[in-house]
Amino acid sequence: MLPQSVTAACLSLLTLGAIAEDLREAWREVPMPAGIQVVLTELEGPVFADASGRTLYQWPQHKLRNGYSGEAPGVPACYDEVVTVTTGLMSPYPAGIPLPELDSRSSCADLWPPVLADEFAEPLGDWSLVERRDGTRQWAYDEQPLYTSVRDQEPGDTFGGSGRKVDGDSPAIRVPVGPPALLPPGFAVKTTSLGRMITTDRNYAVYALDGEGPGNILCRGACLDRWTPLLAPGLAIAQGDWTIVERAPGQRQWAFHGSPVYTHRLDTHPWSQQGSDEAGWRNVFTQHAPAPPQSFTEQATLAGTVLATAEGKTIYVYRCGEDSQDQLACDHPQDSQVYRLAICGGGDAQRCQERWPYVPAVPGTSGTSRSWRPQWIDPMTGRFTSADSPGAAFVWTYRDRPVYTYDLDRQAGDVHGAGIGEWRGKRNGLAAFWLRDDYMQGIE
Amino acid sequence: MRTSFRLLLGLVLAAPAMSYGQASTLRDGRIAYVMTDLFWSVYQTEDGCEECPRGFNDGPREQFEALFPNHAALDVTRTQLHQEVLTWLPDTEPDGFEFLEAEGPYAYGLNLDGEVSDNDFQHPDGTPGIDNQVYRAVACIIGFRGPDGVEYIFQNKAIIDEPYNRMMIELSDVDDLVNDDAVQVHLYRGRDELLKDATGEGALPGGTQRVDRRWGESLIRHTTGQIVDGVLITEPMPDMVMPWMNLRVPSIQLFRDARFRLDLTPTGARGLLAAYADVDTWYYQLIRNDSTHHLSNGQISGISLYRALRRLADAYPDPETGAPTAISTALDVKMTQVFVLDEPSAPTATAE
Repeated sequence: MLPQSVTAACLSLLTLGAIAEDLREAWREVPMPAGIQVVLTELEGPVFADASGRTLYQWPQHKLRNGYSGEAPGVPACYDEVVTVTTGLMSPYPAGIPLPELDSRSSCADLWPPVLADEFAEPLGDWSLVERRDGTRQWAYDEQPLYTSVRDQEPGDTFGGSGRKVDGDSPAIRVPVGPPALLPPGFAVKTTSLGRMITTDRNYAVYALDGEGPGNILCRGACLDRWTPLLAPGLAIAQGDWTIVERAPGQRQWAFHGSPVYTHRLDTHPWSQQGSDEAGWRNVFTQHAPAPPQSFTEQATLAGTVLATAEGKTIYVYRCGEDSQDQLACDHPQDSQVYRLAICGGGDAQRCQERWPYVPAVPGTSGTSRSWRPQWIDPMTGRFTSADSPGAAFVWTYRDRPVYTYDLDRQAGDVHGAGIGEWRGKRNGLAAFWLRDDYMQGIE
Repeated sequence: MRTSFRLLLGLVLAAPAMSYGQASTLRDGRIAYVMTDLFWSVYQTEDGCEECPRGFNDGPREQFEALFPNHAALDVTRTQLHQEVLTWLPDTEPDGFEFLEAEGPYAYGLNLDGEVSDNDFQHPDGTPGIDNQVYRAVACIIGFRGPDGVEYIFQNKAIIDEPYNRMMIELSDVDDLVNDDAVQVHLYRGRDELLKDATGEGALPGGTQRVDRRWGESLIRHTTGQIVDGVLITEPMPDMVMPWMNLRVPSIQLFRDARFRLDLTPTGARGLLAAYADVDTWYYQLIRNDSTHHLSNGQISGISLYRALRRLADAYPDPETGAPTAISTALDVKMTQVFVLDEPSAPTATAE
């Protein structure tokens, strides 16, 4: 374990890199069927996985502007039929438009194999069994049917989906599912770009002050005008990384890794980092996200801090979910590229490279993690390729997808590409890689 | 006792020139206002019969139906994505739809170039030479018209709702809020929620705003101005950045030669912000915040509107092509008085 002073949630990439290896999120033990295990992931904390280590996902029902998609509890909706037309969830466009590349289009079950149970399986705890149309039985957790993703290649991968916050303008995405985090009542944990952020159960950020510890409470008096100690009930007991310190006789405060925790009264929105601007104070994470490539920088914008290239150009990720009833993703190099090519270059791959260049990696560079690694891309097709393929480009990927810069960002801190694309960039477009947002309420 | 007497005497002597409110909000020659309303100024007559005698423009939904009556026979790339490509990578080629521009002689705004030309409007008060070509482009699009156009409602509402948009002006060296021939004008962004009334909707004067030196340093501008019969008229600012987030996309408007004309009171200010807006920035601020779905609710075709903006642009020619890159505009502004707190930096220590 690193000293607490090093676990600061400051935005130094070097700091992030140093601690990413050391913090691991603890979870609450729950009964699991045979063949199911818990795997610790880089981005999503502990998740359930099958016997091969493949992450399990749910597809929760999600309210979009024009209707619902996803699965109702107990009702599988992901099958092996190929969906051929749009479903009209991309207002203002009507339903019934033929989807692209039908001759090679995958079915939902091709990309999301259901987690099937054998004939002897029995419900266990929050694990239940739902019947599919062909009579097979599928595992469900909290009544939501479970799947694996063909995008995941190694244990701990979560390339199929994310637990990041989404809103009604986003597709109905798949979400990794795992055991409950080992947290005292009144706390929660959320996946962010920096790591798994601890908050109150109302999503307000939790902070710690450098130098504080058991028997050494520094925030008293006027400090309490700005900071609220998170107090523990009289009968609360320590568990795991959580202990209790006594601020005063009979006044008990929760501590994480020995540091008493607080909320910041001036935080204006959930998942805030505003309190970390005050000297010595830091957000608290159960685990930190893997460090971005060493050459990357962070840049201040009008709305917060973004990840950027060495030259200061903002990094963007591409997001895409089809307007189909199965809401298949279209943001991965192995997915159809027609959506991305349309938005980035009007269908012209060369124009895409000029407008939204890939972020090149120095040949020979290795990745810092499964989440951040350079891969070979054919820029004309957008597909992964091999190093010896003509025109292949060695580019940085995040979550197995290339990242980009935007040609019209002229200076460090520009984020003119944020929100470009359908539905403010949420369903077929680009989002800036925010390390801190003070104005989007954690949505980005 | 002597101090109190002097203070009382001062207030009594000042009474003829200052209201109670003015005495309390103009302090040490300084008074500040925070923006609560901002939207493109549109001269409207009933049902648009004067400025839009031929009706209103179609939006994406209507254009899609006209272009693709048999959309079930065409795939996504030739229909939906085709329209999105034209939206996100716009050009100036004709789109086959007639674009209805504002007709009639009147528009709100200011004379930005000091000239009176055939392309200019006349202010309803008779002032000639009004430069406002954004009005000519948007007047016959229902989404830009009050009181229920989708942009009119939501872009304006975002000014009060989103702290990202919290722009303020502060006047200093003010001797008299009614007539003063030389005042300093400072633009900042604030960091705080507004003081609201009991409805939670309306902003009240007397709140406090910290100057945003954490993220908003690049927004700070200074200019000068004068107050004539209670109206502040500022000198043009070469470039002004207006942060304007509507649906949580951190976007901006880029204004050149921006100047305010505001009726001042001790508790508020209202009037116009007029400038040349960078055309591409104007367009992308709109469509990045409002997807085609939202634009459809106001019958706003981004494809057609971009072409109109380019056609009507009237300033800052591109050095290579000669095509104007900016378009004259005016925005209706309302502000509420606030007290500005300019902390040089974040607190360095809060522990006891």
